[in-house]
Amino acid sequence: MPVKYDHTKEYDVIVIGGGATGAGTARDCAMRGLKTILIERLDFTAGATGRNHGLLHSGARYAHTDPESAAECIKENMILKRIARHCIEETGGLFVSLPEDGLDYHTAFIDDCLKAGIPAEELDPKEALRIEPSVNPDIIGAVKVPDGSVDPFRLTTANVMAARMNGADILTYQEVEGFIKDGTRIAGVKLRSRRDGSTREVRGRVTINAAGIWGHRLAELAGITLNMYPAKGSLLIFGHRINQMVLNRCRKPGDADILVPGDTICVIGTTSTRIPYDQIDNMEVTPEEVDLLLREGVKLSPAMAWTRILRAYAGVRPLVAADNDPSGRSISRGIVCIDHEKRDGVEGFITITGGKLMTYRLMAEEATDMACRKLDVDRPCRTAEVPLPGSEETADNRKRRAHIIELSTEQKAAEERHGSLTAKIVSDDDAADALVCECEQVSVGEVNYAIEELHVHNLVNLRRRTRLGMGTCQGELCACRGAGLLERHDKCTQRSLDDLASFLDERWHGMYPVCWGETLVEIQFTSWLYEGVCGLDPSEVNVIDNPTQH
Amino acid sequence: MMTLQQQNISDNNFESCIKCTICTVYCPVTAVNPDYPGPKQAGPDGERYRLKKPFFYDEALKYCLNCKRCEVACPNDVRIGDIIQTARIKYAKHRPSLRDSMLADTDTVGTMASAFAPIVNYTLGLKPVKLLMDKVLGIDDQRTFPKYSSVKFETWFRKHAEAEQEKFSRHVAYFHGCYVNYNYPQLGMDFVKVFNAVGIGVRLLEKEKCCGVAKIANRCIKDATRDAEINLRSIREAVGNGCDVMLTSSTCCFTIRDEYSHVLKLDNKDVRDHISLATRELFRLVDEGKAKLVFRKDFHKRVAYHIPCHMDKLGWSVYSTSLLKMIPGLDFVRLDPHCCGIAGTYGFKKEYYDYSQAIGAPLFRQILDSNLDSVATDCETCKWQIEMSTGLPVENPISLIAQALDVEATIAANQK
Amino acid sequence: MRFDTIIIGGGLSGLVSAIECARAGRRTAIVSAGQSALHFWSGSFELLGKVGDKTVIENPLGQINQLDESHPYRVIGEERLRSLLSKVPDLLKDAGLKSSGSLSSNHLRLTPLGFMKPAWLTLDDYVYFEPGKPMPWKKVALVNIYSYIDFYPRFLAHGLQKKGVECKMASVNIPELDILRKSTTEMRATNMSRFLTDEAVDHLAAQINKVATGVDAVIMPAVLGIYSDAPVERLRKGVDVPVWFVPTTPASVPGVRCQLSLRDLFIRLGGEFMPGDTVVKGEFEKKRLKKIYTVNFGDMPLEAENFVISTGSFFGHGLIADMERIYEPALGLDLNVKGGRTEWYKKDFYASQPYMTYGVTTDSRFRPSRHGEIIENLYATGALLAGFNALKEGSGAGITLATALHAASDITGS
Repeated sequence: MPVKYDHTKEYDVIVIGGGATGAGTARDCAMRGLKTILIERLDFTAGATGRNHGLLHSGARYAHTDPESAAECIKENMILKRIARHCIEETGGLFVSLPEDGLDYHTAFIDDCLKAGIPAEELDPKEALRIEPSVNPDIIGAVKVPDGSVDPFRLTTANVMAARMNGADILTYQEVEGFIKDGTRIAGVKLRSRRDGSTREVRGRVTINAAGIWGHRLAELAGITLNMYPAKGSLLIFGHRINQMVLNRCRKPGDADILVPGDTICVIGTTSTRIPYDQIDNMEVTPEEVDLLLREGVKLSPAMAWTRILRAYAGVRPLVAADNDPSGRSISRGIVCIDHEKRDGVEGFITITGGKLMTYRLMAEEATDMACRKLDVDRPCRTAEVPLPGSEETADNRKRRAHIIELSTEQKAAEERHGSLTAKIVSDDDAADALVCECEQVSVGEVNYAIEELHVHNLVNLRRRTRLGMGTCQGELCACRGAGLLERHDKCTQRSLDDLASFLDERWHGMYPVCWGETLVEIQFTSWLYEGVCGLDPSEVNVIDNPTQH
Repeated sequence: MMTLQQQNISDNNFESCIKCTICTVYCPVTAVNPDYPGPKQAGPDGERYRLKKPFFYDEALKYCLNCKRCEVACPNDVRIGDIIQTARIKYAKHRPSLRDSMLADTDTVGTMASAFAPIVNYTLGLKPVKLLMDKVLGIDDQRTFPKYSSVKFETWFRKHAEAEQEKFSRHVAYFHGCYVNYNYPQLGMDFVKVFNAVGIGVRLLEKEKCCGVAKIANRCIKDATRDAEINLRSIREAVGNGCDVMLTSSTCCFTIRDEYSHVLKLDNKDVRDHISLATRELFRLVDEGKAKLVFRKDFHKRVAYHIPCHMDKLGWSVYSTSLLKMIPGLDFVRLDPHCCGIAGTYGFKKEYYDYSQAIGAPLFRQILDSNLDSVATDCETCKWQIEMSTGLPVENPISLIAQALDVEATIAANQK
Repeated sequence: MRFDTIIIGGGLSGLVSAIECARAGRRTAIVSAGQSALHFWSGSFELLGKVGDKTVIENPLGQINQLDESHPYRVIGEERLRSLLSKVPDLLKDAGLKSSGSLSSNHLRLTPLGFMKPAWLTLDDYVYFEPGKPMPWKKVALVNIYSYIDFYPRFLAHGLQKKGVECKMASVNIPELDILRKSTTEMRATNMSRFLTDEAVDHLAAQINKVATGVDAVIMPAVLGIYSDAPVERLRKGVDVPVWFVPTTPASVPGVRCQLSLRDLFIRLGGEFMPGDTVVKGEFEKKRLKKIYTVNFGDMPLEAENFVISTGSFFGHGLIADMERIYEPALGLDLNVKGGRTEWYKKDFYASQPYMTYGVTTDSRFRPSRHGEIIENLYATGALLAGFNALKEGSGAGITLATALHAASDITGS
């Protein structure tokens, strides 16, 4: 998809940050008729949005510690179930108590949930084991709550598409290098392309900083001090779904106490460590964290002790110091929406941060409300009612494969990923049906659709839009196939080879922390194929140094 | 300290798959049927999706022959065939048809057919009957049915052989299987002859049911499990009495040793090592000097050995071929390992008949080009398929040994 | 069951030493746990393609003194290496595989992604170039099979154009492949080769002739000839210009062809090939391996005078890594692994990975040790051996073949 923006136009709103919050804000602004542009320095979901549990919180996790967040969660949970059906799965969740946890927390927990409006049902441990056989059979208590899973990649993409459909422009791989200032006003941004180094300016009346932890740096560029404290959380991805329901430890939030089934895999997490701000672009999972996640994880579900681990990854939570607390000790966990005109005397600049993936829509609403007030626009927010693209109720658009079954596996998989937009995937000829990624059932047609419609510039983008390379073999079989298809669109062979080489390095980055057993066999095999058989020589390609910078 | 992860594979081990695609090279179905997704997709790749949602189950898994050639080829020991069979049992929406249940219920059909053997054999050979079965039941009219015997092996054994067996000091128990019992008692007789000749008495199991291979393939799992439990009880009793259990069918042997635990999830660990193939046991006795075989000078045959797929999976064809090679008058011909295509009841079904014959075609060609007197194999359904498709007689290695054996001399040699 | 020699592992190394032992009249068996890494073979054997960062073309055997002293090449020595490896082309010929190449100079093979890589021996139908000489063609047609996605004409063209070869791209289709195309996954090179025989080859040739006009040669994916040369010969007869092949990624037609051909040669020589079986333990007596126990043979062990273990590296489970340690699972042999799992890898995918150099340690005759004691009648060969990074050196096949032949000659006393 070509870069689309109008350099002569003055936008009403510039949204910086292509995570769920930024994309959601761009959608909300565009739906309210504002001329909007969304700018991301890398790819959508490249930051914290793409590096969490993918848990569709019921709010139960916060019922005891933070009733306000809990109430927000359950409200947004219900909204997402309506507007983002193809991005979420209503798996249900269990809060289980182990003998070492005791039942004190459990008893208070049910009351707290009910108080926050979260339907919580106490289950007999035997019944819990029956409906979720993977849970530790030693549990002494269980509570059922409406947790689920949400695919942050799909959710963000759907928000981007909605923004675009409502007239917003979208720029990726454009890093903000500075602001255009008009006295005390922020009048736009100065951008540098991360792909070719070119620079450009975009002018806008209001700029919304939705850059998550990177918003701290962005604020600095605007001459504002915004204290953010990065907290690293590490997670492990298992090769398949161990559990069908979200499993939580029923105790005070701690390490490795949530196991979420997400698409074909499941994720255990997290750890929590404060890290220095200069390390936010160097996320790495340590062996100690892996051990901790496994040691605690097997208590939730013993199957983790014999399930293949595909990857480890870490994300950064942006913890924001409560306003006017330069020490940073008092941390707000809720949504923080700052009007920098009021706080710092800088006009036309808003920061939206804090919160969580679950409340991205609410954050977007608050930020958009603030932008509307500044622009003197009075239009109501409709993001809670209008379904996201892909989640609309539509007539049955399934294509039948006459000779055996209603839908082939890859068509079913595509439908789960793209919802009603699956109709845009060409699957009427055998060549388009061929699978590129066999682990995740991604067809040539789906890859082509993603390249043409979903802002795909490289294999990592393609992975986030389709799950290509996210499966068991982590790209061994599909990386070169994907590169071959991307090259047909991009037409720059050397860049495609560089991209292929970088993609393999990016996959390895998540594999080495768990590199034993079949994961080690897999990577040796991958190396043989690419460096050996295919002769992919690192001296003849340019590999992106930092694998998190795709 | 205990390692946090003892192994990083799941119970059903599909995650050991590293997506090398080697299994796809050796699948006999892929080469003839485009509707079959292939072992990699049907097995480990599909399993991952089925664990996500049963909705991803693909009915085309029914085309799998369960030949296990993918498993033998897999460098990572993924039990691909087991994964596919287990998925069919767990997720298939359609219940087994009348035809499938009939084909699977070898015991009931066999008992009835044996009682009226001449009529049944005559009737099953009639063109109108075959057409009727083709149209009504979906049993292909081109398929030749194995003949039923009027005297069951068990009846013969009790009447003519049982009494003499107790004069031996060593014994084995014989799991004869449905084929020997209802269709071809001669093989059972040959088994008794050969084992008696080397000084070993034969007993039958207290109660023997069909091993269940056909029921498993046709997803009649409840019945298969019930029969398997009866068999395991009888086997345990025999083993308790110091009798190892011998079979002359590689498929029954494979089913009881491996499918009982892998597919039916029955625990057979305690007796598994006591269940063996007759040729393996005979080879062991000869190899350890505990038995001698003396062969007739006037036996001459050019014989090719066909490795049944389940024999390849057991890894025991070397015992059968080593014994055959011991027969001086036997001109041994090696065949390339190739599935014959019948896969038990699969090749009987109208919808698979053509696939079945296409899969076996290269094997039949090689057999017809080898100027043979007969073909040897350890599996009865391979026998039907090869006999029907090549016109050549197919014999169990035990039968060939029985034919070639100088019984008197062997008895004498083993009495020393 | 008794044999003279038992080889554990049925890949390139195991097959080659088994063939040599069987040829010398020894009763030989191979126990093979599934199929081997040979299935991914490119069609070219590498000898030594790189020393450090330097690409090796001339006199690769003359460069081995730059390798570590413990490197298998150094252990064998240049002269003996030359004499062992010079047997390889004939051995391949006996198996029905024709190849070209010279021990005195590497040629460059064309990889599936269009790179040129030093190699020693290449199967006759596969694309390779003599370095320093002009390219054999001015213009080629890169011909793919319609809807086949494991062939990359544009990457190949990128590589060939750098060398001054003009490329034209086309794809062809024949109805015989429609059956595979109906499947979303099974349009694989090895599956296509099952259909591309007899008349189908003539149809393919006719289609290629239509698109390959005005070129000096056709380059196409290796999708023919998995069981014999006949389809390739038939295609070459039918196509107006010379046809050359580029291997594809897994599994490759030349790889499966080589595996099956060597296996058949071994069986023709009287060898016993036991597929799908895994060795679970060995029984040792006075520094000798007496018996091995396997999954399939259960309580009936296999006995032999000599054993060779060629079970490969991690792929093929010659080595197994768990969270804490790396071990050799079949016989419990000593390894060169040092440290816990953080020592096994480097964070840059393209760095020389320590795990690649892990394997069993041996004496100068490639006899491995167990609990520090050399096992006198056991040899280790191929990728299972310690102390080299075959991937970075471009030396995998050479080491595999040389150590296999070395062990076989030690066993047979030739």
